[in-house]
Amino acid sequence: MAPEKEPILELRNVSKSYGSVRALSDVSFKAYAGEVIGLVGDNGAGKSSLIKTISGVHSPDAGEIFVDGVQRHWRSPHDSMAAGIETLYQDSGLAPDLTIGSNIFLGREVKKRGPLGRLGFLDQRTMERRALVELDKVGITVPPSKRTVSQLSGGQRQAVAIGRAVMWAKHVIILDEPTNHLGARQSQEVLKVIRAAREQGICVLFISHTLPHVLEVTDRIIVLRLGRVVRDSLTTDYTVESLLGTITGLNS
Amino acid sequence: MSTVQTPVGSGEETPVTSPWRRVLGLVGNQQFILLLVLVAVMIYFDFHNSRFFSVSEFQNLIVDLSAAALVAVAELFVIVSGGIDLSVGSTIAVSGVVGAQAIVHLQSHHFGELPSLLVGTVVCAGVGALVGTVNAVLITKANLVPFVATLVTLSAGAGLALFFSQGAQIGYDPVAATWSSTGFWIFTWQALIVLVIVGVLGLVLHFTSYGRYNYAIGSNPFAARAAGINVNRHVASVYVMSGMLAGLTGMFFYIRIGGGAPQTGIGTELEAIAAVVIGGASLVGGVGLISGTVLGVAILTVVTDGLVFINVSTYWNQVVVAAFIAVAAILQTVSPGTRKR
Repeated sequence: MAPEKEPILELRNVSKSYGSVRALSDVSFKAYAGEVIGLVGDNGAGKSSLIKTISGVHSPDAGEIFVDGVQRHWRSPHDSMAAGIETLYQDSGLAPDLTIGSNIFLGREVKKRGPLGRLGFLDQRTMERRALVELDKVGITVPPSKRTVSQLSGGQRQAVAIGRAVMWAKHVIILDEPTNHLGARQSQEVLKVIRAAREQGICVLFISHTLPHVLEVTDRIIVLRLGRVVRDSLTTDYTVESLLGTITGLNS
Repeated sequence: MSTVQTPVGSGEETPVTSPWRRVLGLVGNQQFILLLVLVAVMIYFDFHNSRFFSVSEFQNLIVDLSAAALVAVAELFVIVSGGIDLSVGSTIAVSGVVGAQAIVHLQSHHFGELPSLLVGTVVCAGVGALVGTVNAVLITKANLVPFVATLVTLSAGAGLALFFSQGAQIGYDPVAATWSSTGFWIFTWQALIVLVIVGVLGLVLHFTSYGRYNYAIGSNPFAARAAGINVNRHVASVYVMSGMLAGLTGMFFYIRIGGGAPQTGIGTELEAIAAVVIGGASLVGGVGLISGTVLGVAILTVVTDGLVFINVSTYWNQVVVAAFIAVAAILQTVSPGTRKR
């Protein structure tokens, strides 16, 4: 983190209500390239509303979003993707019956050159090859075969999904509970990929209930409670107890 | 250094090329097993009646096969996308009847045989596409599950076919009927046209982005949507295409019979689904090959035609077909490559 630099993502006084429920109140923070930020809070604290606002699923009622110094107005998730933000939701993930390469390039397929490509024919070989190269950059080694994602372990699957986000994200990736349902070893694989993304200068927003993971991998932690940012400090300033206290609001 | 380990069954050494491994790999290959079954079934029927391998019998077989293949391939697209289309049989009936009425009308105004058949083909495809559009709207706009939506059009289509025809065959067209037995060696013109259509659809399913999206949506619609695929638009197009292919099958039967009858095609949806399942596709979507479906159709057609040929009562037909479906489905659940959901 280098505070004198321009933030890659900045929110200023973002608010969002669903009917009479105020999900986000004046949320402001800055995020920098090459930084892993933990976004934590109890259920209903506004984490998913915040993700959906940043990724363009919802637009905020008030406030401003800046990416790379430019103010943005999302009309759809496409707009945020075009601006370099990739989001990995809990339920989205990968298509288990497709190969790794097909998943990595899903929705962004490489077509064959010439007239066949214009008819929609795919250049599968290039996609499989480039997928392996790109995954290798974030430390994921998968067998170079026509294996479908369903044949990978849960941890590998999640690693590939994050690798996909890293590959396409220019600036920011948002990971919603990426270590949920994973064993200890598999979670470590995922955390490793997150560190590799940081090395590539990507800003990672890491949303999780698993506080040990948050404390282990993040540089900074933003705590949300009832739709407000109640603390935004370096990870080294927290202990498990103080973090838990801030989340629940039960400490001094 | 910081590489994620690959515990997937020592997968790094898969490309070992020992001939024994290859043979074993082939035995594990579902497509290969289907081919073996097909050959075995044909040899069995030939053993019982040596005329089974005659050109005329094969011509018959291939005409039956191609009609069934057209519907089964349409069903495959739908099933891979995670849906099901129960309405294809009724669509064949209603489009055949309406197409026949159009042809009768044109011929009564002294249109030539070929032009009126061409117009009839367009009418059949159009009626089919219309049924498919109703399915698409019920599924993507009214949010009905495909089973219920196409059950609605299954029933409506069968009723409308009876209404439009008043229960009787429309048209009597012996000239068209003779075309269904002319062609090249064992391939009639109809069969050749179907072969081209199935070939093109196979290329689309396996080698284009449209086919890729079909698998992605059937495999995980949330991931497909998150990847920017317009899931509703794609699903709608699949049902319209399925309807259109069923409509073309209606025309196929018009030429075969020399008219459009309201009971033609009724019940075909179950044969089509059976062929797709025997061919190794998964009814939950995301899995299935066009080669498997074609082999499934071939096996079912050879068995049904062959049983007639060796004078087994046609009443046994459906029982034997049922046995094939059961075995194929059971093999699928025990095969190691099948994913658990």
